Amino acid sequence: MGVPAVIERMDLFRALAARRTDEIVVMTMTATLQWPLVSRHELDFDFLAFGMGHAGDFGLGLALARPERKTIVLKGDGGLLMSLGSLVTWAACAPGNLLVLLLENRSYELTGGQPLPPRVDFAALARAAGLAGGGATGTGKVERIETLARFADALPRLLAEDGPHFVVLPVTTREALPPVNHSDHAGRIRQLQRALGMA
Amino acid sequence: MIPDGESRLLYDAVRSSALALITPCREGEAIAIAAGLWTGGEKPLVVLQNTGLMEAGDALRGCGLGPRVPLRLMVGWRGYGGATAGRTPIDSAYTYTEPLLAAWGIPCWRLMGDEDLPALATMDRTAEETSLPAAVVTGWAFRP
Repeated sequence: MGVPAVIERMDLFRALAARRTDEIVVMTMTATLQWPLVSRHELDFDFLAFGMGHAGDFGLGLALARPERKTIVLKGDGGLLMSLGSLVTWAACAPGNLLVLLLENRSYELTGGQPLPPRVDFAALARAAGLAGGGATGTGKVERIETLARFADALPRLLAEDGPHFVVLPVTTREALPPVNHSDHAGRIRQLQRALGMA
Repeated sequence: MIPDGESRLLYDAVRSSALALITPCREGEAIAIAAGLWTGGEKPLVVLQNTGLMEAGDALRGCGLGPRVPLRLMVGWRGYGGATAGRTPIDSAYTYTEPLLAAWGIPCWRLMGDEDLPALATMDRTAEETSLPAAVVTGWAFRP
């Protein structure tokens, strides 16, 4: 039996940052600590403490409101368990410009590494929620990518083709996490609106 | 909109209108989606029952009150009919609705009949002017 494939999260972020251009990136939990180490983009949005489990829902709203660009969501598997019904809603709305990257580390990492139930198959849940048939728009896709090389290969396609995409990425991290940042939440919203040319 | 008894006729009306209708699975989702829509330039109305509002407290805090997102809420007031008719036991969902909104500092107006319709504009204007959530609560308004 082989060792389960897993991607170093910072390497994944570096690959994404190298390809990302004008997409909105909504991040939450540990991604809010590490993504800023590779990206200082005006369309980055730190969702930490905006509502447990709901980064993807906020991303869905953004994607629907701003169809001219992709919205990428970096969220964890623990957060998804807090709002599994979101999968159904993403499939029901199915905007082509939503890309959810599920960072699967099988733990509530930011709160101390408490383990998740070990046998949850997040890709299967997404398929069963309706994304398998493409969702409401017929273009939704679910996939699991287990190596950095395959993720790097897939990125141009994920950023270009219609989704919504739900991509499960098994990750780990060897790097120490920076401290949590609880900056002004209202300011984060207004900054993103300015970056979108609205304020 | 999360379908419920108080809003079922409104649901039918919206579904047959030109308005975009999103029906999330839970109210916390609805509030987070609405916050994303508003941040992106849209003007959503969240229609939910008081019970769901109670479930969605963290989303309301994190996506509405904290970041000053002017969410417009239409809250179905489960238990209103029975309580005002004097029936017992009183539904605890009735009891805690207005006190809960008050505890959050969310202004709310009762929308119980045609004469109350101006409350919608008042709620809308208040949310806009304060850049904070505001609500109407509905008991009978959408029942036949």
